[in-house]
Amino acid sequence: MEEKGVTRRQFIKYAGATAALLGLSQALVPEIARALEEMAASGKPPVLWIQGQNCTGCSVSFLNTNYPDAAEVVLDKLSVRYQPTVMAAAGYQAFGVIEDTAKELAGKYVLVVEGPIPTAEGGEFCTFGLEEGTKDLLGNKVPKDKPIEVWMEQLVPGAAAVIALGNCASFGGIPAANAEVTGTTAVLDVVKKIDKDKPVINVSGCPSHPDWFIGTVLYYLLNGKVPELDRYNRPTMFFGKLIHENCERRASFDAGLFLEDWNDNNPDMKLCLFKMGCKGPVTYADCPTRRWNSAVNWCVGANAPCHGCAEPAFYKDLSPLYEPLPDINFMGINNAETLGWIAAGATAAGIVGHYLYKQLGKKAPEGGEE
Amino acid sequence: MAQIVTIDPVTRIEGHLRIDVEVEDGVVKDAWSSGTMFRGIEMLLKDKHPWDAQQVTERICGVCPLVHGTASSYNLDDAMGVELPDNARLIRNLCLGANFIQSHILHFYHLAALDYVDVTAVLNYAGNNPGLKALKGKIAGLAKANDLYPFMPRYESDDYVSDPEVATTLVGHYVEALEARKKAQEMLSIFYGRMPSFVGTIPGGVTVQPTVSNIAAFRSRLAELRFWIDNVYVQDIMTVAGVPAYSIFFTAGDSGGNYLAYGGFDENSQGTEKFLPSGYILANGVSAVKTFDEQQIIESVKHSWYTEDCEGRQPSDGKTDPDLEKDGAYSFLKAPRYEGKPMEVGPMARMLVLAGLELSGKIPENKQLLVPLIKQLGLDAKVTELVTAGKFGILPRHAMRALECKLLADQMDVWLDQLKPGEPIWDPKGKDIPSDSQGMGLVEGPRGALGHWITISGKKIANYQCVVPTTWNASPRDKEGNRGPIETSLLGLPVPDPENPINVVRCVRSFDPCLACAIHVIHPEHNGVKEFRVV
Repeated sequence: MEEKGVTRRQFIKYAGATAALLGLSQALVPEIARALEEMAASGKPPVLWIQGQNCTGCSVSFLNTNYPDAAEVVLDKLSVRYQPTVMAAAGYQAFGVIEDTAKELAGKYVLVVEGPIPTAEGGEFCTFGLEEGTKDLLGNKVPKDKPIEVWMEQLVPGAAAVIALGNCASFGGIPAANAEVTGTTAVLDVVKKIDKDKPVINVSGCPSHPDWFIGTVLYYLLNGKVPELDRYNRPTMFFGKLIHENCERRASFDAGLFLEDWNDNNPDMKLCLFKMGCKGPVTYADCPTRRWNSAVNWCVGANAPCHGCAEPAFYKDLSPLYEPLPDINFMGINNAETLGWIAAGATAAGIVGHYLYKQLGKKAPEGGEE
Repeated sequence: MAQIVTIDPVTRIEGHLRIDVEVEDGVVKDAWSSGTMFRGIEMLLKDKHPWDAQQVTERICGVCPLVHGTASSYNLDDAMGVELPDNARLIRNLCLGANFIQSHILHFYHLAALDYVDVTAVLNYAGNNPGLKALKGKIAGLAKANDLYPFMPRYESDDYVSDPEVATTLVGHYVEALEARKKAQEMLSIFYGRMPSFVGTIPGGVTVQPTVSNIAAFRSRLAELRFWIDNVYVQDIMTVAGVPAYSIFFTAGDSGGNYLAYGGFDENSQGTEKFLPSGYILANGVSAVKTFDEQQIIESVKHSWYTEDCEGRQPSDGKTDPDLEKDGAYSFLKAPRYEGKPMEVGPMARMLVLAGLELSGKIPENKQLLVPLIKQLGLDAKVTELVTAGKFGILPRHAMRALECKLLADQMDVWLDQLKPGEPIWDPKGKDIPSDSQGMGLVEGPRGALGHWITISGKKIANYQCVVPTTWNASPRDKEGNRGPIETSLLGLPVPDPENPINVVRCVRSFDPCLACAIHVIHPEHNGVKEFRVV
């Protein structure tokens, strides 16, 4: 450890940060430190991080990680062999690393997929690297572009686990709103066709929160198993609770105090964004407590509605993003003000969430209600 | 004998890019660039609520979402006829500026620097700086475990910066830069909620009131970043530019001498005055900056997979009628041209336009920014030499990006002073969707000139179009056979070893290409896309 330039003190601090990240008691720090030491001794797990129909937002979000910082994760905790946004290599050297890793470390590497897989037209909507084939250019024969779909067929069988990073990798997200053209397919669905028993973890969010991703990886490394997942394969430790239940503006919702004009907005009032289209009542994520960018702020904290970006329904089925959720009409109550007065307490919030889920044509995730 | 060298993927950029170069006698003779990923962002916006456009288009790109969200807001403001309050204009400037800072730092250190610095030279560090010694220990650990990913493998070259002291300092700054760019994103999230995928700008204004406390939170981070930009980022650029082996890169990588800037960062509510001025330069006539007129933009498809009927149209009249079998076509990007000419956009274009306006006295001396900064840094002789030579290559592209970063960061402090807590941040007219309307939003992003256009019909989006920076820079040949700026910039570059085409990626990366932006389009064979234009 010392030869890697990490002092004992830094190490314990790191174990403490890990505990905080995973929502564990600080009393567990010595145990985590032991597990981390064992982990370090057994060599760093190899990671192949490939990009599908992505926007690189989840890579950028990953770089926003606070504890542990990005350099620590990339250099100390993981052996990040392929990550197109940061790696030195390009061209055949870069994809050669993937092929070597797939051969030499079959069964050991973690496959991270950022962005979904387009399957229409033979996968031509997203390619990187080359495979055997011909394409005329100056009359010469050259290899042809290799679809990410083909990469998936090659890499999934040897992956220890697959992490679908971000909402679009998890559920299709924004590109899925155009799925009829490009055949956008969620990573899970692609993996199931290749190996139905392969563990797939959906770390959703548009973008994914760095803690959600790193926390999931650390949990997997510390425990040697996939964390508890909800019905959408999201880790319940991050996606187990409704935003609405934990929202700092919940009291305004209960009191019927809604933001309707951004100028009429005393920052101390913390008015509820429900009428501006907040999707917090149907979104399972820990944003209200975790917050974003080193906990500086989060969407509702900026007087803006939650857009529900961690949900399978995002984007298409949560549009229009700035219009209130479908009128709530249960137990004879059908408007937000009245409901706000009645829906006090977490149980009622759970019911509201459950009800809205049904309105959007799906069931509430298991364990999501109180 | 000529040979084709294919680089796919080009890594350390945003998106999926393939570059082919023809190398003969160790020199690039010809070049082609093509993008290899498609989603269809414009198409999926059809019939959606206009307010969705910002949230959707900012997800075109996770590195520069701010510029799309901001362009979209101005576009919608225009369509709805809002009067933007000063506070909203300033907060938009501040947040876009924060994104420039994060994007420029990310670009130089994390996307470009590994093309210049030998990470393994850290192993020979003999100095006593505790931070750098720890870094050496870390790299040594990786080397011992034979696990130098993701720094290795790489294209090998004998001109990497390998002096242990210099290389270790630069690698140390690579790590510091992770923190610096993270801080820029924190700063942005103060007003905009989070990054990437921020939420704080809306049609008609912004969502967060300026307060004494959020202004202070913003300013403290800005102060740290300004210090870092001045003392680390700008200095490191000078260090790399001072490496004798790289002296050819002052002119090598020149894109052909045409530069275009739409102008960015509004200084008044009508948007008629911009902090970064608009204008264009032809044939390196830096001191003769011309007035930009958006009507002069046309798009050629001679070498793109679209029918001849799409040839030569203005963006407002654009057409996309695909033809995958077309002879001579090799890209999904159209070739935008200004007055029929390929134009480089981005920091170099903006800074040359600014320099030209200052040098020719069109900006009075007491308002000049760039020329005094160039003098202060002792770069005036070099700049004069390049202006005389009429060539601006790879190193000036990096340097202009750094200087722009400094100018913007300094100006952001001024904008903070202009915020007025308690004054309006939103024009409620932004909420009234007209039955039928059109809008346009032109802004500057980290990678260059960006335009969004909207047509609203029946209170819904009838058409949404974006013309993005990388389409200009990475465009294919046009009907006159003129190459796009990146293609031109590669000509004549030395590639002594085709197995290690390091100079090709150095040059391509200097443009900071963003392929997800350039190819946010749809499959050309699909019938439903024909009324949409591809950019």
